[in-house]
Amino acid sequence: MRKSCSRKYSPGLSALTFSSLVFIFSAGFSHPASADLPPDAPGKQELQSEDSVKSISGSVIQASEELIRGQRLFYGLVYPDNKAMNCAACHNTAVTDTLNWNPDAVEISGKYKNKSVDDLTEILLSPTGKKMAQVHRDFRFTPEEIMLIKGYMDELAGTGLTQRKPPVTNLVLFITAFFLFFVSAVDLIITKKIKKRWINPVVLSIATVYITWSLVVNAIDLGRSPGYSPDQPVKFSHQIHAEQNGTDCIYCHNYAPYSKSAGIPAQNICMNCHLLVRSGTRSGMFEIAKVTGSYEEKRPIEWIRVHNVPDHVFFSHAQHVGAGGIDCAECHGDVAKMVRIRQVSDLSMGWCIKCHRTRKVNFSGNNFYSQYHELSDKLRKGVTDSITPERVGGTECMKCHY
Amino acid sequence: MKNSGDIMEEFIDPAAGGGRNSEEDNNHVPELPGEDFLRLSSSRRDFLKAFGFSFASAALIAGCKIPVRKAVPYVNQPPEFSPGESVYYATSFYDGHEYSDILVKTRDGRPVKLEGNPLSGFNGEGTTARVQASVLNLYDDARLKSPALDRENVSWEAVDERIIADLARINSEGGEIVLLTSTIISPSTIRLINEFGAGFRNFRWVQYDAISYSAVLEANSLCFGKRVIPDYNFDRTDLVLSVNADFLGTWVAPVHFIPKYIARRKLNNGERSMLRHIHYEAGMSITGSNADLRRKLRPSEEKIMLTDLYNRIAVNSGAETLPGPAFREDLSGLAESLMACRGRSIVVSGTNKVEIQIIVNGINHLLGNYPDCIDPGRHLAIAAGIDSKTEALVNDMNDGKIRALLMYNVNPVYDYPEADKFLNGLSRTELTINMAVALNETAGRAKYECPVHHYLESWNDAEIIPGQVSLCQPAIHPLFSTRSFQESLLKWSGNPVTWHDYMRSYWEREYFPGSGQSSFRNFWNTSLGKGVHTCPVKAENMPPFDRTAFRKVSESRDLPSPDNYEVIIYESIGMGTGIYANNPWLMELPDPLTRHCWENVACLSPSDAAGLGVVNGHLLKIGDGLLLPAFIQPGQAEGTISVAAGYGHTGSGPVADGKGVNLYPFAKIKGGSRSYGFTVSRVENTLRESPLALTQTHSSMEGRPIVKETFLSRYRENPASGNNLHGASDLHDKTLYPEVKYDGFHWGIAIDLNACVGCNACVIACQAENNIPVVGKDEVRLRRIMHWIRIDRYYSESSDNPRVYFQPLMCQHCDNAPCENVCPVSATNHSSEGLNQMTYNRCVGTKYCLNNCPYKVRRFNWYRYTDNRSFDFNTASDLGKMVLNPDVTVRERGVVEKCSFCVQRIQEKKLRAKLENRTLNDGEIKTACMQACPSGAIVFGNLNDKNSRVSRLFSDPRQYFLLEELHTLPSVGFLTKVWNDEDIKS
Repeated sequence: MRKSCSRKYSPGLSALTFSSLVFIFSAGFSHPASADLPPDAPGKQELQSEDSVKSISGSVIQASEELIRGQRLFYGLVYPDNKAMNCAACHNTAVTDTLNWNPDAVEISGKYKNKSVDDLTEILLSPTGKKMAQVHRDFRFTPEEIMLIKGYMDELAGTGLTQRKPPVTNLVLFITAFFLFFVSAVDLIITKKIKKRWINPVVLSIATVYITWSLVVNAIDLGRSPGYSPDQPVKFSHQIHAEQNGTDCIYCHNYAPYSKSAGIPAQNICMNCHLLVRSGTRSGMFEIAKVTGSYEEKRPIEWIRVHNVPDHVFFSHAQHVGAGGIDCAECHGDVAKMVRIRQVSDLSMGWCIKCHRTRKVNFSGNNFYSQYHELSDKLRKGVTDSITPERVGGTECMKCHY
Repeated sequence: MKNSGDIMEEFIDPAAGGGRNSEEDNNHVPELPGEDFLRLSSSRRDFLKAFGFSFASAALIAGCKIPVRKAVPYVNQPPEFSPGESVYYATSFYDGHEYSDILVKTRDGRPVKLEGNPLSGFNGEGTTARVQASVLNLYDDARLKSPALDRENVSWEAVDERIIADLARINSEGGEIVLLTSTIISPSTIRLINEFGAGFRNFRWVQYDAISYSAVLEANSLCFGKRVIPDYNFDRTDLVLSVNADFLGTWVAPVHFIPKYIARRKLNNGERSMLRHIHYEAGMSITGSNADLRRKLRPSEEKIMLTDLYNRIAVNSGAETLPGPAFREDLSGLAESLMACRGRSIVVSGTNKVEIQIIVNGINHLLGNYPDCIDPGRHLAIAAGIDSKTEALVNDMNDGKIRALLMYNVNPVYDYPEADKFLNGLSRTELTINMAVALNETAGRAKYECPVHHYLESWNDAEIIPGQVSLCQPAIHPLFSTRSFQESLLKWSGNPVTWHDYMRSYWEREYFPGSGQSSFRNFWNTSLGKGVHTCPVKAENMPPFDRTAFRKVSESRDLPSPDNYEVIIYESIGMGTGIYANNPWLMELPDPLTRHCWENVACLSPSDAAGLGVVNGHLLKIGDGLLLPAFIQPGQAEGTISVAAGYGHTGSGPVADGKGVNLYPFAKIKGGSRSYGFTVSRVENTLRESPLALTQTHSSMEGRPIVKETFLSRYRENPASGNNLHGASDLHDKTLYPEVKYDGFHWGIAIDLNACVGCNACVIACQAENNIPVVGKDEVRLRRIMHWIRIDRYYSESSDNPRVYFQPLMCQHCDNAPCENVCPVSATNHSSEGLNQMTYNRCVGTKYCLNNCPYKVRRFNWYRYTDNRSFDFNTASDLGKMVLNPDVTVRERGVVEKCSFCVQRIQEKKLRAKLENRTLNDGEIKTACMQACPSGAIVFGNLNDKNSRVSRLFSDPRQYFLLEELHTLPSVGFLTKVWNDEDIKS
């Protein structure tokens, strides 16, 4: 797996499991001597474990030493005074939340895995791209160093980006509350050490309220992911395409008006423009080359799905866009302003129902609704001025769940 | 028969009344697969543990990450596909035994459902259970996935190279090369086979059918000089006499016959007359169940009976009589009735004996039924195998005369009566090639295994009736490394053309010139789009009847011995010849009459059962080698035992293997034709029990008007006869709830009990459409079958020879639904369109609704049937899951489910109407059961539209609701069953 993007970093205790807690502890204690490397340096653990398996052979040890040297070069630790000679500064090795137009370390490693050292030397020391030439201007690597970097990059290509460590505050709070609850209950019933008698009931009630509250909140939140905005395999920007270039949503998501699915555009749609447009102002050639390259190789891009509804929910774009005439932005937010696509609505049932109760159906404008004789009569006689989806059954279970 | 439509005389069902068996069934402790903790007796400690565990798990679950889902678009989007929308392709189904013109519904490139092709002149929109289920065979893990040489997987190139060399060597030495296939109805394949054969000095092509119609073919060859199965025009007849021919269930082409038969049995359009149907048979078949008059006949008596009937008609018509004793019954009444319907009757026999078929032809000839009612000119190409040719081939193989044997779509090791002899012959054959779709008993026995495409992956064509040609096109890219049979023949004969091009050029030569189309490209594309093409055939004169055929008829001397049991091997609705045995849907399809599944049983008559002291499920020892569970079948002829073929596989896949007993080895090859029956002198009750998987254990209506019936004469006087209690309860029933008015739509279904023949196509169609799980034999025994629609079978009158009623039953979508009131979480409630909604994600599984449903149509998911190794049918593997309908939720464990009136189809069509800015048309929405029904017995529509078909049927005087005295106000209405009066003296 090249990239693993967990779907959810909710601020609750949700982000952590006991196993991850264990992992944090073990990670913290097993590598005390990691001062010379950034704490999230990838490949370290793999190196060590491989070491222990293969250390019988001296050449393997030598190889692993070379890897470490390559890694140090990649992280710019060898030339600390030349800030430019830090590959990881631009080509991030960990999953980040910040916008980074440069290809990440794993991507470039993957690209050069099957290429020669000469190719890498070429791109490092005399790149053709404008922006790259500017950034790589001050690079002074010896051929041996490039060899070492290449060795490390090959290693990197096999691993993924380092996962961001999830926040722990809420879990700590939850565990603390649970611990307090336990201690207080034990004291109240068995040990009876605390003299002030009001303390235990107060602690118990506060802990109970907090535990219940966090369970309820997290349970409601379960399966929902507003704000979800994972790294995509291609740094595709809706802002560039929809806002700057003014491309209509339907140009790419062309099934929306008449199919259940809006459709993620196939690469042949991309190629309509990118047959000619091969370089981006900010991303350079790397990102577009991913699309055009995989098109030529007939390899589909595996996008990360952002808007998910559970399996038992039937949602049809045709119903909402085609028949309902709803603007895309009403559910998807101002996509034209998003560089990386983000889920805006929480896609919860309450969110659906709210619209179904308040919006107006195009009742007199669509012949289909003429079959609702009573409602048509009411509308004609002025008894009612508009029809909400709810009045034609839009809030019934089997309109969406079957 | 008691001529009362209101209260029917009932009998105690011997099957259910056995008492012991059913009691034991009820006491059966369920085995809980893999969930031992449920079995523990719980204490307070356990409760606290569980409580603590659930608290911890809540915390854990809250911390779980939602899995990352990928969305992978096409690289090049095919223009005809849009994600989330279905695409239909016209193709044709032929498995060597059954034919249908069909439409394949594909979703995102995978076939998920099959429908009848409305343009078909053969089956119309109707399909059968087997056709419906055949889509699952595409995703069968037991399919052969790669070519093999001596059971080692090799490449196609390696196989081809060696086969071509072997064939050339054998040919140069003048050795005989034989192609053994199932019946081939593809005109271009026939041409190809002939070309293939012409390349060899010594070539023979033998067609072999597991269930043979050889006698019909040969009798017609002797009588009319045409080796064909004629078309039977039931729609042009007034009287049908069927002797042992289950033409509505399994014989020749039920899907073709049912619409024609039902056209003359329906009374919806003011018809005043009905086709009369008299049936003689030993075991109960669905055709016999639909007959106005059913008489019992042992197989050994059949010839005597038909000879006697022939003689009576011959005497009357001044023709020569045949020698033979008189039948035990007086047939003069029957003969008179038949003669009164001269030229408008059909006599058929389903027995594979040439002499019987000749007598039947003789009777039809004397009655002048050719060619109007029985048309040899418009013959059905459903089967072409001649038994004597197969026999000769097997003998030649044993004599070492055959050097090469190429087998396609046959499984003689399983279904040839002398399988050992065949195997012996196979071992003496130098070059053996097997071309099959899936694993079977023959697969692996040949030197080369050259697996072929499933029909949904292949190009083909077919000519089922002269002039009615159809195309078969792939609906999915081949899933495995398979190759079509024709492609292999082309390769081996050195022809560089692909099969697709070969077929195309055949069509260009044969059918394009007469089509009137401007270009072949146009013609080809229209034909592919429609799936069917009709080309003119020159009318043939009816050939004269050749009386010399009667020389073949020997004088009947073999009077049945009353002490012997005659065992009849019949084809069952689900299993057919046995090629679908690894299809879990069909394996779990209950037999329409016995209502059991997962194995074959020995059906014997109640009086024989009493004599042997047998109750349902006792293991019977029949003759020496046959051990089968007994089933007491009302209406079974005394002294006969009926057993279904197609079970007892040993190498056809995990579902098929070890279920029941293979009866083919007991079939006999007698006088050049295979006889599906044998005689035993001893039947013994072992007293050992083998509990049956029965889906219905009670057969009586207990005097209640569940299926209402009347007779034609009464119906003529008063169309509401037999239905006089309809609406009676409305007069005194009052409801506390406000009466609901439906604005817009009120969906309803009308079921014509006169049209339903009980074929079970709807059951499998529903299963395919609604992702209904297969639960396995043990669960069926615990009454946990999941089918959303079932066809209830009732008996009335006598257990000796009962009247049979079929009643399709799905959720009745009651407007006053008892299930809705008792749900504590409102998981089932009513929609504004009259649907009784079931919300799975709200259901907590109290099962109150199940218990409060008077129709017992709700099903509870006892287990998680998907991804569960204990239920390894089709939803446990990724391959099998490809058949799931993406528009329907796969239900979880612990929820109740039931018929939704195919709400996904309702929503789809409503949306289409909205998008097209128009009103919905009547008949636009078809539920899966309605669409599959070959007889048009099920009609779905909007009850608010007074002109819809369903509304018109609801206002028919025959219309009634099931258990309407309960004031449930169902949305499903039934139409009274009307029988013909019994005015046939016998």
